[in-house]
Amino acid sequence: MSDDIDLGVLAESFAEMLGAEWPREKAVAYARAPGPAAQTLWGEMAALGWTALTVPAEHGGLGLGTAAAAHLHSALGTAAAPVPMLGTTLAAELLVAAGSPAQQAEWLPRLADGSVRAAVAQPTDAVIAAENAVVSATIPDMVDAPSADLLCLRGTRGGCACWLILPREAAGVSVEATALTDTTRTLGTVTLDGVAITDAAILLPDNAAGLADRLLRAAAIAIAADAIGGGEAALAGTIDYMKTREQFGRVIGSFQALKHRVADHQAALVAARGLVEHAAGLAPDDPRALLDALSAKQHVTRTVAEIARDCIQLHGGVGFTAEFFPHIYLKRGKLNEALWGTRTLLLDRIADMLEAA
Amino acid sequence: MGRTFDILSRVGDEPAFRQEIRDWLAATVPADWRQRWQAVRESELKAIVVDWLEERRKVGLATPHWPREWGGPGIPFAYQIIVYEEFARADAPELDMYTISLFHTPATLFEHGTEEQKDRYLGGITHGTDIWCQGFSEPGAGSDLAALRTAARREDDHYVINGQKIWSSAAMHADYCLLLARTDPNGKRKHDGISYFIMDMKTPGIDVRPIPQITGESEFAEIFLDDVKIPVGNLIGAEGNGWQIAQSTLSTERGLLIFGAVERLAHSFELDARDARDGWMRDVQFRREYAAFHAELQSLRLMIRKLLIELEANPDKASPTLPTYIKLIWGPFLQRYTEFLLRAEGIDALKWQPSIPGTGHSSRLRMNDFLKSYGWTIAGGSNEIMRNIISERILGLPRG
Ligand SMILES: Cc1cc2nc3c(=O)[nH]c(=O)nc-3n(C[C@H](O)[C@H](O)[C@H](O)COP(=O)(O)OP(=O)(O)OC[C@H]3O[C@@H](n4cnc5c(N)ncnc54)[C@H](O)[C@@H]3O)c2cc1C
Repeated sequence: MSDDIDLGVLAESFAEMLGAEWPREKAVAYARAPGPAAQTLWGEMAALGWTALTVPAEHGGLGLGTAAAAHLHSALGTAAAPVPMLGTTLAAELLVAAGSPAQQAEWLPRLADGSVRAAVAQPTDAVIAAENAVVSATIPDMVDAPSADLLCLRGTRGGCACWLILPREAAGVSVEATALTDTTRTLGTVTLDGVAITDAAILLPDNAAGLADRLLRAAAIAIAADAIGGGEAALAGTIDYMKTREQFGRVIGSFQALKHRVADHQAALVAARGLVEHAAGLAPDDPRALLDALSAKQHVTRTVAEIARDCIQLHGGVGFTAEFFPHIYLKRGKLNEALWGTRTLLLDRIADMLEAA
Repeated sequence: MGRTFDILSRVGDEPAFRQEIRDWLAATVPADWRQRWQAVRESELKAIVVDWLEERRKVGLATPHWPREWGGPGIPFAYQIIVYEEFARADAPELDMYTISLFHTPATLFEHGTEEQKDRYLGGITHGTDIWCQGFSEPGAGSDLAALRTAARREDDHYVINGQKIWSSAAMHADYCLLLARTDPNGKRKHDGISYFIMDMKTPGIDVRPIPQITGESEFAEIFLDDVKIPVGNLIGAEGNGWQIAQSTLSTERGLLIFGAVERLAHSFELDARDARDGWMRDVQFRREYAAFHAELQSLRLMIRKLLIELEANPDKASPTLPTYIKLIWGPFLQRYTEFLLRAEGIDALKWQPSIPGTGHSSRLRMNDFLKSYGWTIAGGSNEIMRNIISERILGLPRG
């Protein structure tokens, strides 16, 4: 890992590109009519090497770590960019951690150049019994599945946990999209109808629990980072609005009842960003890495969703319209809260770790 | 016993320094000090606190964050942080009574005091003999501190003070007071015409009346001032310049002081899970509530560490906003966490117990800690004032 490149500069370049290519008007328009613009945006990101960020150099990537990925996800959250980067980040993590040399050689270069987009099953997603060579199953609610070229599914073989690494185009695989209120991410039901599973499609980790934790950590950080970017954008836009909207002959930003709310939100976001960056900066084998990542995920997604809620209220009537931006962050914020472990699920895990400490 | 400790000679070798403090603390802080202090009567309190400061002085740690020229150990900032961290970890007694003496007085005198004032007054703190209090607030001037009315009238070589101060922590134990009074009632703005004095608490005309607190203790007092004479030499800075100096006194509150407080809570937080292993940690709801506090505590510790690192690198370039965010978050966090413990422990937490001096908000007497947490959201500029500062000075929203 060569994380000695300047992450601040990297973060700036993410923000600059997205500010130009995916300005707020575009995000607002996209929320009402999702379409091919997302594909174009993905292509631009891939061309800039963003999809290659965490893929090792020997597979055509940049070999950067979680901290760099966190900056990317944070920028994507700020822009509410409609790209399946979560699935791609996690697929890279999965393959790098436990893929066979052949699996790595086959998929990592294509993840790196953006030609393959991936979806990775959450811990709560259905588990496929892959005991036979031919498998049929239904996996509902898989994030990023509708656009995915590669599906990473949870399975068991010989009583052991494994992963199924399936090309979307394999015979018998189909994906049906389910509409989400957050149109910047996609969800789908994956159906396997007599799909032939070769050994090349099976990823059997030595330490399945360890791998699951590693993926959970990477997901927690990516989602927390996405959330913080979104929360900051929602609040900054709201404060701008409060400086221009007038009632009772003065701008609403001069009313102390409103000022105090945004002061609290701002302080909460400053604290939350520090936590996300810290969690992302810990080495994966640091004993506190998982604890702090899960703490960050549950806390930051909750905090941001609450702030986004208040941003609707602070906008008044226009906050209720599709034309203004706060709803985008509220919807993405609520989805972030639900993805990869609800708050209670994570809190139970955190409590276990604190008790064991 | 018998072993001598030489903590300061370990400066330059962090692990050795840390170990030496740990060994010294283990040998010096009695395991049952909380029980002993809990039984101490109000009138004997000062004596035991002075004893503890004296123990610290023997190893050069009475005033760990002071420079050598004024009687401190003159150790680098990173080592000062270790000292506060280890005091917290060892659950050593806190020096509440000395808060003003250790933090506010030096912050004021180092920067604004004359050489004579520094020579005369700072030694008394390092030697553990002098306790200072702060006479800023008045019944009609709390958040609106600049509205203060206590008058200082110049007569020859002294000022004559008349008025009233309130909420002065440790005033009944104090030897000296950092006093704000109005020397010019006709200033253009109310911030003009305020002057800053050192007041000897033994001067005739001073009447100190302790105020009972919501915990039953009396850690602060009213000070009535009736023709109190302060020599001209005890004016700090120029006459009329008190407001600016007071700002620097208050702003230095937020580094090591809050760091020590949060580290104590972090230590206590770990113990809480252990102690509740067969209690509320078996209740799924309480267990989750507890787990949720971890993120908040971590984020606070990270913010404070960031601030300390910035202060170490260059105090003039440290973030001016971070201390305000920290102040705004820390108090309410402490209130919610201590309130949680009250609920989790039920009626046991509500049974009266004598308070434990020297434990600040971490006496682990749940109700007391909860009640004391309000000190952090009211004192030193209330959280509402912090919100005004953030929204106006940082976020650029207009004044109401
Ligand atoms: C434990 C403790 C120790 C203290 N120690 C000392 C000490 O050693 N020396 C000393 O001089 N003082 C001390 N104080 C006093 C402290 O600084 C004041 O209590 C504080 O500044 C608040 O002033 P006040 O009590 O007059 O409240 P007020 O100013 O009357 O405030 C009442 C309420 O109104 C709110 N409020 C006031 N103005 C505004 C505004 N503009 N916008 C929004 N809300 C507002 C406040 O936030 C508060 O909620 C101490 C206080 C406490 C609690």
